[in-house]
Amino acid sequence: MTLTAARPRNMWGVTDNPSPNLYIPMVAIVDEIIDETPDTKTFRLSFQDKEYAKTFDWEPGQFVEVTVFGAGEAPIGFASSPLEKSFFELTIVDRGKVTRAMHRLRKGDKVGIRGPLGNCWPLEEMKGRDVLIVSGGCGLAPLRPAILQMLADRASYGDFWLLYGARTPADRDFVYDLESWAARDDMHLLQTVDVPDDKWNDNVGVVTILFDKMRLNASTAVALICGPPIMIKFATIGLQRMGFTDDRIVMSLERYMKCGVGKCGHCCVNHVYLCTEGPVFTYKDLLALPELKL
Amino acid sequence: MNVGDTLALKKSDLAMFFASLAHEMRLVAPKRRFGGDVIFDVVESPTQIAWDYGHDIYPPKRFVLPHYEDLFGYRADGEVRFEDLGEAPMQAIVGIRSCDVTAIRFQEKFFSSQIVDPYFKARSDNTVLFSLVCNTPPKKECFCICCDAGPYLDSGFDVELTDLGDRLLYRIGSEKGLKASEPGGHMLAPADGEDRAERKRIELEADSLFATEAYLAKAILFISADEVPDKIWEELGSTCFRCAACTNLCPVCTCYTVDDRREDDGSCVRCRSWDSCQYAGFTREASDHNPRPTFGSRVQRRFYHKASYQYITRDGRHGCVGCGRCVSACLTKLDLPSVVKRIRRSMEEYLQPLPSGEVRP
Amino acid sequence: MVDTPTICGFCSCGCALYVEPTGRRVAALCPSANHPVSTGRLCIKGWNATPALAGEHRLRTPLVRKADKLETASWEEAISVTVSALKQAEPAKIGVIGSAKTTNEECYQLARLARDVIGTPNVDCGCRFYDASLIPGLLETTGVPGSQVGMDAITAAGSILVVGANVMDQLPHVGSRIQDAVENGCKVVAVDPRTSRLAPQAAMFLNPKPGTDLAWLRAMAKSIIERRLYADGVPEMQGFEELVSSLDGVDAGRLAEQCGLSAESIAEAAELLASNPRTIVMFGLGVMQQAESTATIKALADIALLLGGKVMPLRGQNNAQGACDMGLLPDMLAGYAPLPDGAAPGLDAARMLRACATGEIEALLIFGENVALSAPSTQETIDALGKARFVAVADMYLTETAQLADVVFPACSFLEKDGTFTNIERRVQRVRKVIDPPGQARSDLEITAGLASALGSSISADPAEVMAEIAANVPLYSGVSYEALEESWGSPWPCDGAAPRLAAIPPGILPGGAAEPVADPDFPMRMIAGRINFHQQTGTMACRSPILAREYPKSFVEMNEADAEALKIRAGNLVNISTKSGTLTRLLLLSEAVPRGCVHVPHFFGGDSPNALVSYQPDPISGVPAYKACAVKVEAAG
Repeated sequence: MTLTAARPRNMWGVTDNPSPNLYIPMVAIVDEIIDETPDTKTFRLSFQDKEYAKTFDWEPGQFVEVTVFGAGEAPIGFASSPLEKSFFELTIVDRGKVTRAMHRLRKGDKVGIRGPLGNCWPLEEMKGRDVLIVSGGCGLAPLRPAILQMLADRASYGDFWLLYGARTPADRDFVYDLESWAARDDMHLLQTVDVPDDKWNDNVGVVTILFDKMRLNASTAVALICGPPIMIKFATIGLQRMGFTDDRIVMSLERYMKCGVGKCGHCCVNHVYLCTEGPVFTYKDLLALPELKL
Repeated sequence: MNVGDTLALKKSDLAMFFASLAHEMRLVAPKRRFGGDVIFDVVESPTQIAWDYGHDIYPPKRFVLPHYEDLFGYRADGEVRFEDLGEAPMQAIVGIRSCDVTAIRFQEKFFSSQIVDPYFKARSDNTVLFSLVCNTPPKKECFCICCDAGPYLDSGFDVELTDLGDRLLYRIGSEKGLKASEPGGHMLAPADGEDRAERKRIELEADSLFATEAYLAKAILFISADEVPDKIWEELGSTCFRCAACTNLCPVCTCYTVDDRREDDGSCVRCRSWDSCQYAGFTREASDHNPRPTFGSRVQRRFYHKASYQYITRDGRHGCVGCGRCVSACLTKLDLPSVVKRIRRSMEEYLQPLPSGEVRP
Repeated sequence: MVDTPTICGFCSCGCALYVEPTGRRVAALCPSANHPVSTGRLCIKGWNATPALAGEHRLRTPLVRKADKLETASWEEAISVTVSALKQAEPAKIGVIGSAKTTNEECYQLARLARDVIGTPNVDCGCRFYDASLIPGLLETTGVPGSQVGMDAITAAGSILVVGANVMDQLPHVGSRIQDAVENGCKVVAVDPRTSRLAPQAAMFLNPKPGTDLAWLRAMAKSIIERRLYADGVPEMQGFEELVSSLDGVDAGRLAEQCGLSAESIAEAAELLASNPRTIVMFGLGVMQQAESTATIKALADIALLLGGKVMPLRGQNNAQGACDMGLLPDMLAGYAPLPDGAAPGLDAARMLRACATGEIEALLIFGENVALSAPSTQETIDALGKARFVAVADMYLTETAQLADVVFPACSFLEKDGTFTNIERRVQRVRKVIDPPGQARSDLEITAGLASALGSSISADPAEVMAEIAANVPLYSGVSYEALEESWGSPWPCDGAAPRLAAIPPGILPGGAAEPVADPDFPMRMIAGRINFHQQTGTMACRSPILAREYPKSFVEMNEADAEALKIRAGNLVNISTKSGTLTRLLLLSEAVPRGCVHVPHFFGGDSPNALVSYQPDPISGVPAYKACAVKVEAAG
């Protein structure tokens, strides 16, 4: 069976929503702010319009365009479980003009949200197969919804491996989740850091060093990868060596975005608009895009 | 009158005809400015229309996709309030050429494929195109005939005008065109055999008068297959000034950026404005990583979007209408005809067997 | 509607563009197709001119410093505080620094305010920090303190010598015409320590060591004379004998080698230029901001004159030509007329700033020039301004200079006022008001007239009236009138009357006639200060356009890979570049275009300027500080 990146149920601009038009956002309130690392925060948000919140339906892998009023808009992936209806979370690194402004927000502040945008991880097609998640640094955030959804339906999946690499132990996101996942006996969590601290007694090195420690059915398993481009590149090579075919290596790409609805042109890679036809792709899909120089 | 009718309008009635249309909608037409510049602009009277305009630089695409367009305003002190600032005035673009008509239809298709852009749609729904056939190429840089976008069209116009001397041939191409023909309808008479014959003669002659050519087929092949070596793109990019005139003035290009702007009264306005894949910052990410870091990679991007079968399949036609504006506006020689020619020549040379007889991989 | 053409206020090309106002903003912008410079084309700055001017931080009201904070004030108060301060100082202790970006009318009236109303001889403009060296350099050679030719001459040139100028990035229209000329067979000899984007067009690209231009020019002049490559009639020209004897004993080949060039390269370059007549000699800030800029410019003019060619100095700012033409200079009046008999020249801008620290200058008016960033030795400049008794600044934004002022006047952009600019071709062109200024901002002309009036003198604030007066008093501008400019784009002021002469090119001021100063072991590298295309001067306008600012969001420096390795610094890391005057911290990038032993430091990323590293060492003749080839130290930042 050939896997292709999945089409989502919902996409802003295609499915109905009460906003006057697809450029005008819905209003959401910052309910909670969790400090993940020195430069990363998770914002827990809920829509001001509670009726809308009830119908708001999204899938792991999708993202939203967040408006920080006065600063502008930025694309951020969902980072919480899609089964949770009363809120959704966005994990944001302080890097550019809009994300910096976001980091200065407080509980109760309002933001604009347009979404869900983009496509999703192929979780349906992955049922019955072993699952491998390879993530690096802030790349764990777009994968977290997929992890949480699959763990909530654990029986539908085979062996479950989660590999996570960060620069240092303090740079890891979702430490609270990592602790509870480490304690589960129905999944394998392997962690590594580039630079350990005094308390670290786990692996040291890039995330691909963890590949040798895995045991799964590489001829049918599906790998989901998200992280820095260089990590994705070496992870892909390692997985191919293990026996993963190109259509079972799935990744989320990143590009500078503006409109989020496939019109402004910023996120194009060759003839593909990442915001509407991505950001999730199989490696096989990507081979058709020469700009990536794969 | 019906869609598909071929009628005639006396030139002596032109001003009156458009004056009656002007009661229903604003007129946009070529206007003479300082020193002979011609720019498509709102005219206050049909007598301002420069029917015999040759070269115009600023494409009429700005009347459906403005250079700077306020989308909506918002206030976020306390309750968040939005105000849609979209405008869609009823307008007739009179004297627009076949190339620009083709480009606007291309943009209409793009902006309503899969997801509909409400601002573009509102403007283009309210826009009627009265195109003017080019009996002779308006300027030496024209090459619409190589791009299947002129000098006359079979369809795509709302109304098409052809200069037959003392009268215009008047063809109604759509419902919108039919409706716009009503206010002055009494000035339109059925075209006769001589009118049609004259039009045929003009068609045959116009095709043979072009000074610029762009034989796209081979370029499309090489570009689509990603066979043009990086070295050639880098050579092309080495003279680029990164001014983005090519994309700004291209009637087909649609890329834009969006910025929030603070107003004097404390509110903010989200505004979109023409952007260009030729800028380095077009793809630069917040982490400072730039997927298209070199001039060559950006020139390659532009031509991929203009002339690859991947885009042709998506958009229904390739991304150039041969209007020749990039030829006039480029500070160096990165206009489409020049680049297409250089790709063809470089590839011919590149694909020559090596002295040893081997073929390059 | 797109009705009114005006002239771009960024660089000296002076392109014409149409702007469609909507309220106080701009809805559309396009070039003029039939304008002789723009010819339907603009550069990245021209296309993105308007957001740069409409930035939300435009000054809307005057500001007056109270209890060490700048507070909003009325025009009456701001003017009265200024006039009070001016009256407390003796005229000779007052300085006026104008701008090379304001209109001719504004420059002319500012000079009048200074000399006639205030009575101070200390008048200058921003050109002192850029290209003022070309005035003495060219007046004494070609006789024309500006370009002898226009844009059309570039396309028709047989050969072009381009020295110390990154034309592709800084003056795109010049660069574009050089490309056209090359296609027509023109031979370009480019000379720059750093290989610029002109390289693909150049028949020869020479990379001398930074700061050695005077030396290799001596070598080239010697080569031309020895091999009789000069044009007909040259030996009969005034100054020929002096030139020949000043080059006595020069061994062209050896001197070339001292500059880091091969012995044959200079001779080859001279041959190439001489055998392709209709030569234009161009030079940019790489020359005009050197330690001996005036002498170097004379040498370049000599090369042009020897070859029967013309000179085109590549001055950068939109009205650099006009500001100098209008007499915003300490040693000349408008039209380059001499000061009245017995009058001593006033202090130039660089001297005025330093004089603030000693009390020699007590009150300073700065109109439209961000001296805190454009002057050298930034910390020293800022300290000096802090010590001045009174500083008033007129500008569009709260620049680094305005932040230090006692009074700030909100000024207009070029879209918000009427006047004229004089471009690099000496073409006087009409600037037209297209949008209303924000808040209470006024044009520099209105501000100047307001100050004059409060000081008891009435001078006109009407641009057309002022130009009529200029035309009557300045012979170069006698052909300019607003009526005529309603019918045409404007013409270059006449320069055929000037009688050219050759100048002697003695060895430079370095001991033993050395080509370059002795290396300082503590500061072993040479800084090549440059500018990237998207910024202009101090970036006051350019950095506020989202598209321009987006092109290079992070400030950087470039070094050759071999040097980076030797210093054990990796690309992508922060480095400190320092001199005794200051330190700059920036990202390091690698570039093979930068020669060994040099670091390329581009200008102006909103406040972080290589000028901080440069000291106030002026060219002895023109007073332009030596910004180029400064000795620096580079090391990894903490």
